[in-house]
Amino acid sequence: MGKLESRNIEKYFIHDGKPLKTLDGIDLNVEDGEFVCIVGPSGCGKTTFLRIAAGLEKPDDGQILLDNQPLNNTGPDRIMVFQEGALFPWLNVQDNVEYGLKIAGIPKEKRNQISHRYLDMMQLTQFATSYTYQLSTGMKQRVAIARALVMEPDVLLMDEPFAALDAQTRDLLLVEMQLIWQKTKKTIIFVTHNVAEAVMLGTRVLVFTHRPGRIKKEFKIDYKRPRISEDENLLPYQQKILAELRPEVKK
Amino acid sequence: MKSSTLAKKIGFYAMIIIVWQGLDSADIWPDNIFPSPVDVVEDLAYGVADASLFYGIGTSLLRLIIGLSMAIAGGLVLGIFMARVETVNQTIGSLVLGLQSIPSIAWVPLAILWFGLTDTGIIFVVVIGAIFAVTINTYTGVKNINPSYIEAARNMGAKEGQLITSILIPAAFPFIISGFKQGWAFAWRGVIGAELLFSFLGLGFLLNVGRQLNDVSQVIAIMLVIMGIGILVDGVVFKKIEDKVMTRWGLR
Repeated sequence: MGKLESRNIEKYFIHDGKPLKTLDGIDLNVEDGEFVCIVGPSGCGKTTFLRIAAGLEKPDDGQILLDNQPLNNTGPDRIMVFQEGALFPWLNVQDNVEYGLKIAGIPKEKRNQISHRYLDMMQLTQFATSYTYQLSTGMKQRVAIARALVMEPDVLLMDEPFAALDAQTRDLLLVEMQLIWQKTKKTIIFVTHNVAEAVMLGTRVLVFTHRPGRIKKEFKIDYKRPRISEDENLLPYQQKILAELRPEVKK
Repeated sequence: MKSSTLAKKIGFYAMIIIVWQGLDSADIWPDNIFPSPVDVVEDLAYGVADASLFYGIGTSLLRLIIGLSMAIAGGLVLGIFMARVETVNQTIGSLVLGLQSIPSIAWVPLAILWFGLTDTGIIFVVVIGAIFAVTINTYTGVKNINPSYIEAARNMGAKEGQLITSILIPAAFPFIISGFKQGWAFAWRGVIGAELLFSFLGLGFLLNVGRQLNDVSQVIAIMLVIMGIGILVDGVVFKKIEDKVMTRWGLR
């Protein structure tokens, strides 16, 4: 029994009037405090799996369990960080971060207290009153992560959150993400197509097959943290994963 | 505004006035058909002096504000419903498109029959003239919302009611504001048109009085006032709101 369990998740999409199998029996057990990375070629259903785990989409078969309870809806116990951040442009940074707390009816003073802690953690304090159009892509992703963290979810679901960032910003955030994980002890499922990213972040890396998506192989990454991108000792892990991934990308 | 643009504008309007005065001085048409700019200004001054002009403006604007507020409230509700519930869109939505093609002035006979020559009748014409523009723009705005805003909000625990006020309306606001702008334009035309036919106070009524008294300069003076208010609302009020919205929503 893990924190989040996926039992035989199957999903079809309708393509040209015919059902197209996207996920083929995903069985996964994520332990409390684990950092699981999913890598796979585009179109392997890794994002779909994450959306199902978030409850934003319904599986055609199988179920998702959180603390052994079956789930069939979305909720603040599993917060998703979207690829493009999905920040609300009509709210400033602080109000974006406090959105979920406000929805939950938490009083203003308490909200400010919580948001300040996370704004500080993400080094956003001086941008609290900025609007999203005034922020760089990297800043926006920090806000998106802060907005997810204030909800104190059981599981954090991250859908290629660093895909649109330049290399320097990404390296910085990859290190910060590890520190945040160590500090908050969150359970994280992180989807990416970038193997180096997965190896830096994950305690475990899952390789998905090309459509229909299945878990092809999993790798434990036992290595000291924080891991940095220049560390050559991470290369063997990357090579092993790439060897599994390459045939899938070519399909 | 750049000073060169401003200079061009001033020059252009000065030219119109000069040509106008020139035509008047040439005595092609009699003064009771073609008044001089001075006559028109005198008429405006007269309206200001006895306050009848302010009373007319106040009456028309009050009707406009009441009617437009009702149209905005109704249009928002209708537009959001159409965007969120497909059955509403397929049924009421098609009716809205049809009703929108009726010029608001065409509602006047019905308004007179239903409400008599009253304020309520005029306000009815204003509401019906403006509501569909607000509805259709709200609908389009809500339909065009980036779906991940809605997903993120639901994911953070927003229920449908919270979704409407905290996401749908603000996210669709760039569209909604053009709905307000169009609604205002229709409402302004509606209120003047209705007042002409109802002949019951307001700027449209003053236009009608001018016609009945054969006072061309009063007619032109009131038309200038109607235009002036239009420019003020469009060019100042809505422009300011639009500029702010476009910048903040990252559309510019």
